[in-house]
Amino acid sequence: MKPIELANKSLTDAATLLGVDSTSPALERLLAIGLPSKKSEEYRYFQVEKLLEETYNTLEYVPHSIEEGEKIVIVDGIVTHAPKNMRVYYDQCQAMDMTHFDPMYYLGHLLSPHVIKIDLDGDTDVEVEHHYTKSNALINYRIVLSNQANRHATLFESFHADNIRDTLVLYGYDVFVSPDSTLRMLKNQKMDENGYAMIASHRLKLNQHANAVLKSFDVGSGMGLQLFKAELDTYAYIDAGHLLYLNKEAQRGTVSKIIHRGEHSTSQQEAKNILDGHTRGIFDALIKVEHSAKYTKAHQNSKAILLNEEAYMASKPQLEIYIDELEASHGSTTGQLDPKQLFYLRSRGIRETEARKMLVIAFANTLIEQVKDHRQQEVIKALFDEAYYGNEQ
Amino acid sequence: MKTLEIENVHANIGEKEILRGLNLALEPGKVHAIMGPNGAGKSTLSKTIVGHYDVEVTEGDIRYKGKSILDMEPEERALEGIFLSFQHPVEIPGVNNAYFLRMAVNAKRKHEGKEELNAAEFLREMKKYLEMLGMKADMISRSLNEGFSGGEKKRNEILQMLMLQPDVIILDEIDSGLDIDALRAVSEGINMMKDGKRSFLVITHYSRILDYIKPDYIHVLKEGRIIKTAGSELVAQLEEEGYESIEEEA
Repeated sequence: MKPIELANKSLTDAATLLGVDSTSPALERLLAIGLPSKKSEEYRYFQVEKLLEETYNTLEYVPHSIEEGEKIVIVDGIVTHAPKNMRVYYDQCQAMDMTHFDPMYYLGHLLSPHVIKIDLDGDTDVEVEHHYTKSNALINYRIVLSNQANRHATLFESFHADNIRDTLVLYGYDVFVSPDSTLRMLKNQKMDENGYAMIASHRLKLNQHANAVLKSFDVGSGMGLQLFKAELDTYAYIDAGHLLYLNKEAQRGTVSKIIHRGEHSTSQQEAKNILDGHTRGIFDALIKVEHSAKYTKAHQNSKAILLNEEAYMASKPQLEIYIDELEASHGSTTGQLDPKQLFYLRSRGIRETEARKMLVIAFANTLIEQVKDHRQQEVIKALFDEAYYGNEQ
Repeated sequence: MKTLEIENVHANIGEKEILRGLNLALEPGKVHAIMGPNGAGKSTLSKTIVGHYDVEVTEGDIRYKGKSILDMEPEERALEGIFLSFQHPVEIPGVNNAYFLRMAVNAKRKHEGKEELNAAEFLREMKKYLEMLGMKADMISRSLNEGFSGGEKKRNEILQMLMLQPDVIILDEIDSGLDIDALRAVSEGINMMKDGKRSFLVITHYSRILDYIKPDYIHVLKEGRIIKTAGSELVAQLEEEGYESIEEEA
């Protein structure tokens, strides 16, 4: 399959190409928005056309019994393992967002009529491991995640690929955060140059008094974009943090829209970006405060350190506000390592290369240390070290 | 042999010449105080010795234990035993204070061919100084200088000095921002380092610090040159008559 062939197709032709019902609202919406291109607002910093122009082998969905394991393991989009007593199953997605900004959200849904449903019962921590084993493949799957009211759940995600090349992964979550609950989602992802590219398109719906903590730790090279839309009801709270450490010729980052719909809702979003090599980092994030969202608090910040003069940070924090009764701020800085800090360390006998590493890690640590789970914090630090030190060799 | 010899040093910051043929020699075991009006070049002198990136030396030489250091990187100068206590120590969020100090101590030990300290040995060594300097234990587990008060930053500088055991100690406005108790603690730390071999260069605006750290020599720095050198009796004259009264020695 060549995803670009969907461009400018009629409903009938596109339906035939994808093997889906031509009356599908998702298909209609996809064709109305159009496939992403370099002219699309959300994809203008990311060379998406390069990915869509490739020809991929599509994978057949083969029903697979889910074995018992400590973690949820998803191999090439198929769940192979899940913890005992955790409800993980396939079902049709019945609550698609029909106003999502990302066409790939709809393409993902069209290609995955059966989604993986994960119901988090009670207070729980769960790890999700994504494995990719096929080269030149279009791996597509979607997950619907929900938790219970008044409960606290945490989901740790990691990604693994073994000797694959030129694969495109389209995946994403539809997340429903129940009233008075807390859901933490921590993602760590180290990518390599030629293994797989990823477009991850998510949608989050936060009910009244719901709390969501989203932390993404993206390191290494490759091409990857995460796009999410989050809607906040009354007294809902979202804390989003994104760490990027990129090297070689990576193009990665976050495109997001956080929409305050309910009164007294709060959002804070922080991006820390460290760019080496010929990389491009992306932080294109909008916080929209609607008329109904009085007494909102919304804060957004992006900081970038460029370690190489060929690196480029596309940082675009934006606020779109329709009310006066709120507290809001946003900011963006891009610079190099602070020469005063570097000199201070060197003046105590620490070699320049070591001092630079200390400052880079310190910059990253301010986000990494927000991860309360010590073991997961160590995993993220190790992954960061692997990407940072690996790049030096 | 002099510990540090500064010979006819001319140095620029940007386009501006700040040091204009400065001569100074530090003797082993002696405390040299540099005093001078604002803009005389006191801080530039300290930056020049430690190899700060702001400073370009255009003429002259600086020798440490007989060897020119002008081509040495800042870390090499530090490893050889030159220490500057900064006037305004920078804050470095995310770098743990203890981790940083252990890195610095072990870098120096390695340079000297000694075994590196493990975490327990390092903590034991550090603890004795923390108490003496009246530093709260949590300061060492916080980020380097982040959120520290002016006094805490200066105490932290002295802690580093005590741990690193340098041979030439440059104290740039060590007394600024210190209350009496902090000044006493900091001075006690500095005086502890006097061993008859180390040289001290105390850069100050005011004579207050010299009540606690007794100088052997007072050097008056004006317009980028040392214009007078005398014993500690010069302090009283400066206090009474100011820098205007000092004429350049022939």
